[in-house]
Amino acid sequence: MKTQKITVLAENGLHARPVGDIVRAVKSYAETTVTLATPAKTVSGASMLGVLSLGLKAGTEVEITANGPQEDQALAAIVRIIETAE
Amino acid sequence: MVTRYGIASVEGMAAGTAVLLAKGASPEEGAPGAGGGMTLDEAFEAEKKKFEAFSREGSGETAGIFAAHLEILEDPMLRETIEGRLADGLSPVDAVRAASDELAAMFAEIDDEYLRARADDVRDICRGLSDRLSGGRSNTLDNLPEDAVIVAEELFPSDTAEMDFGKVRAFVTRKGSVTSHVSIIARSKGIPALLGVDIDGIGTGDRLLVDGNTRQLTVGPDEGAEKAFFAKMKQLAESDEEDVPLRPAGTPVAVFGNAGSLEDITVAIEAGAEGIGLFRTEFVFMNASYFPTEEEQFAIYREAVRRCNGKPLIIRALDIGGDKALPYLNLPPEENPFLGMRGVRLCLKHPEGFRLQVRAILRAGAFGPVRMMIPMVAKEGELEDVLRLVKVCTEELEREGVAHDPTLQVGIMVETPAAVLMAPELARKAAFFSIGTNDLTQYTMAADRGNPGVAPLYNPMDPAVKRAIEMTVVAGREAGIPVGICGEMASTAEGRRVLASLGVDSVSLSSPRQISKLKQK
Repeated sequence: MKTQKITVLAENGLHARPVGDIVRAVKSYAETTVTLATPAKTVSGASMLGVLSLGLKAGTEVEITANGPQEDQALAAIVRIIETAE
Repeated sequence: MVTRYGIASVEGMAAGTAVLLAKGASPEEGAPGAGGGMTLDEAFEAEKKKFEAFSREGSGETAGIFAAHLEILEDPMLRETIEGRLADGLSPVDAVRAASDELAAMFAEIDDEYLRARADDVRDICRGLSDRLSGGRSNTLDNLPEDAVIVAEELFPSDTAEMDFGKVRAFVTRKGSVTSHVSIIARSKGIPALLGVDIDGIGTGDRLLVDGNTRQLTVGPDEGAEKAFFAKMKQLAESDEEDVPLRPAGTPVAVFGNAGSLEDITVAIEAGAEGIGLFRTEFVFMNASYFPTEEEQFAIYREAVRRCNGKPLIIRALDIGGDKALPYLNLPPEENPFLGMRGVRLCLKHPEGFRLQVRAILRAGAFGPVRMMIPMVAKEGELEDVLRLVKVCTEELEREGVAHDPTLQVGIMVETPAAVLMAPELARKAAFFSIGTNDLTQYTMAADRGNPGVAPLYNPMDPAVKRAIEMTVVAGREAGIPVGICGEMASTAEGRRVLASLGVDSVSLSSPRQISKLKQK
């Protein structure tokens, strides 16, 4: 199991496009489960509703946890999407 | 007989029989095993097939709506939330309802317009599921009378996708606006709609008269009201048979189309429009999660030019603020948004962002006849500021060696009384005038077009509004610039006749059906 904390930098928070990218990325690692957590709650990375409901704004710290055979790649992919979101 | 006013409407007139669309079956009927409904798995499967079919059969926008619906339907969180409520001991129907409320509430709380709108998607999907579980509602749409007027709290894409439009004459809803799904569907089907109507007390089978032109709904009309209604309808139909109205000079008024998307442009041009008189660019900004780049905007505007087939395209600068907000611009709430930071005021307040749009429009101008239109102008200084920015951007593109229109025509929307009063001065600097009759009526009459209490005052045919239009036309003519109309006033034959007699050069219409009717003559 791999975990990393990252702060959302995108000025206007994470919207449909990056959230869609996250969900698609998570689903592409079929054997690996990914969760995203804020102090308020934890959701599945494969759920668009879940990730959107975190309401990730600029400055929010989110903890990403990946568990499974491709946990390293999955974690890196999600971190990259959040880091590069505009 | 009861008369009610809607807050907004889609033009047209229709008489018919009310068909009340319930908000799904009531909880009592939804008890386990009752109603011969489906199991949860079957309901999910059936809805999935339905959305797949809609998404396949739908055109551009509708297909996209249902593709997104499908994604939410298959989202594990939806299923988990429902199963959580089932585990609490709720019946399947109640569990779906509870999940719907819970998820919708979660999105409604988020301080973000885009995400709040997802609450509607969730409710639409859950309602479909609970109808499958209870076996309710769907048969309402299966047995429509030949003259159905659909009455509902609100209409979702999955409602209208299932309707037989051979039988649906009009929509009447409590919620919704001119930009919501129900209006878009009504316009594309060429039927009237009244939105923001108090529907309490209306029952299935009631006789209804729907007048989208005056936003008036008559429930259970008496004989006199019926007669007057049909006389007006007949008169409108006859005047619709007339040719394109002539101006005092004897020349016909040019017919352009309004467009709020690329698809709209194609439809309007195919219907015979002589060009696009109003290309709204809000969709470019509202569909994005960040301020669109110059390249992204340029790609869309160039495609718009291509779709115009060499006919003129008037691109309106971003007209945001007031009733339309942008999530990523963080606009503070205003007490009076219609008198606040909107249109050109907002563009000039954010010149670094507006610049990107100006450059993208200048570049699109290299591919065909493009004009830029500035909304909400109240002062000459605002136009001067825009013209200065256009000049700076033109010089930049020149230096960068990027293809562009070096002499972009910049005109203004005349929609504030200040612009009417200063029209002679503005006409010396603007390349054209386009009168936005909706806002001009609202501002001239000081009557909120969203307030049913003052609906009779909000009338574009009022002598005060007509005089304002005439003053604008005269100022334009004296300066030798064209004056067009891009508001709803041009959507009725009566309005077009009045406008032609006042001497306007062109009307720009939203309804492709009207465009083709006028251009076929």
